[in-house]
Amino acid sequence: MQDVHTIGKYADFAVGDIRTFAEACGVTLSVTLLSLLIGTVIGIIFGLIRCSKNKLIRFLPLIIMEPLRNSPLVVQLFLVYYGLPVMAGILLKDYTAAIITLSLNTAAFFGVLVHNSILAIPVSQWEAGYALGHGKFSTFINVIARQALRLLIPQAITLYIGQLQCSSIVSLISLRDITRVGQLLSVRTMRPFAVWGIVFGLYYLVSFPLARLADYLAKRIDYTY
Amino acid sequence: MAMIEVKNVTKQFGDLTVLDNFSVDFDHSGVTVLIGPSGTGKSTLLRCINGLEKIDEGDILVDGLSVNNKKNLKQIRKTCGMVFQQTVIFPHMNVLDNLTMSPIKLLRMSKAEAEDKARYYLDKVGLASKEKSRHNELSGGEQQRIAIARALMMSPEALLLDEITSALDPEMTREVLNILVNLAKEGVCMLCVTHEMSFAKEVASRILFMEGGKLVCDVSKDDFFGSVREENERINKFLSFIGE
Repeated sequence: MQDVHTIGKYADFAVGDIRTFAEACGVTLSVTLLSLLIGTVIGIIFGLIRCSKNKLIRFLPLIIMEPLRNSPLVVQLFLVYYGLPVMAGILLKDYTAAIITLSLNTAAFFGVLVHNSILAIPVSQWEAGYALGHGKFSTFINVIARQALRLLIPQAITLYIGQLQCSSIVSLISLRDITRVGQLLSVRTMRPFAVWGIVFGLYYLVSFPLARLADYLAKRIDYTY
Repeated sequence: MAMIEVKNVTKQFGDLTVLDNFSVDFDHSGVTVLIGPSGTGKSTLLRCINGLEKIDEGDILVDGLSVNNKKNLKQIRKTCGMVFQQTVIFPHMNVLDNLTMSPIKLLRMSKAEAEDKARYYLDKVGLASKEKSRHNELSGGEQQRIAIARALMMSPEALLLDEITSALDPEMTREVLNILVNLAKEGVCMLCVTHEMSFAKEVASRILFMEGGKLVCDVSKDDFFGSVREENERINKFLSFIGE
């Protein structure tokens, strides 16, 4: 029978936990950054297609975007991680499933932001571009996209912060991100307040500066047409 | 050959016929003023000439190029610069960039050359000191003067001016009209939709009165304010309404 003091010593925080948390931060950041990158690229494509004048083409991205925007992220993750092997025989690693799920979810929301930012630019700006002799593409690149980008950036940062926090659900498929390590350490050390306090602090450290940046950029945009 | 030939143009918005089998020609010189009650198709005519509105029937030729052919639109728009009723400065760039962007991108002008030309036109519209300003640092009148300078940067053969002073107070209106008077004296060809009769009296060489999508009269300025007004009760009534 083990000595109660030995258990206590084993269960307490150890120097190795710092390394565990550091590795977990790496997992959280790599999952988040990679999925944001992929999601942003797909989202831009979705958003641009949504601006098409052709009703059918405009509708196509909605087939993917609407289900993703109207279902819980955790359900989407389980569908990819547990559902795909059964339905399609595709066995995904936890990391891959997390990237796919978060990327598609980001793309769905980013597509809406891109679409709305472009629509927010008054028609008169398009016409002013055309009247100077620019074609549709040139007007879009030189006049519309640059204004839309400035409207998009603060909203995109807010979305990115949300997705960083949502990435914590990957802990549910046992990917050792910050939240998963928090769960394991909390159980081992029996010090939930300290462990979850650290987890809270780590997320906050990344999110807070981004939130301030979004506020700053939003205030700097002063378009009156 | 006339620079702009409007041939039997019909334009409808839903059930409303805004231009009704409308025909008119415009030459390479002079100032033509289009007047008439609101909703008679004056602005629509300018927008159709510039290819911003698709025409339902008929054709418009600008230097022989049809607006019905999409491939001609870029060239047509370079030929006919347009300034709108609402001020349309690009808010993401300063005044100088507003003026130089299109010549650099479309006319392959060098940046230095474009900036020299921009400064020339900024001086012409009395805003030489505003080249670094942004749209929110400019009054409505100043923004319209910038829009005129920006249109002139493309060296158009004609300027289409669509009620460009209607959103301005009297002082700003006078600022803008003074610029147009100077341009007219320098021989810039203009097609103006306006209710500013003092401007029409000062610089117009030709006046078109439109109503119900049709051309009611197409006469010289002197005839319009003289014999036509006396003989045409409708025009006399319209001019009386707007305080002439």
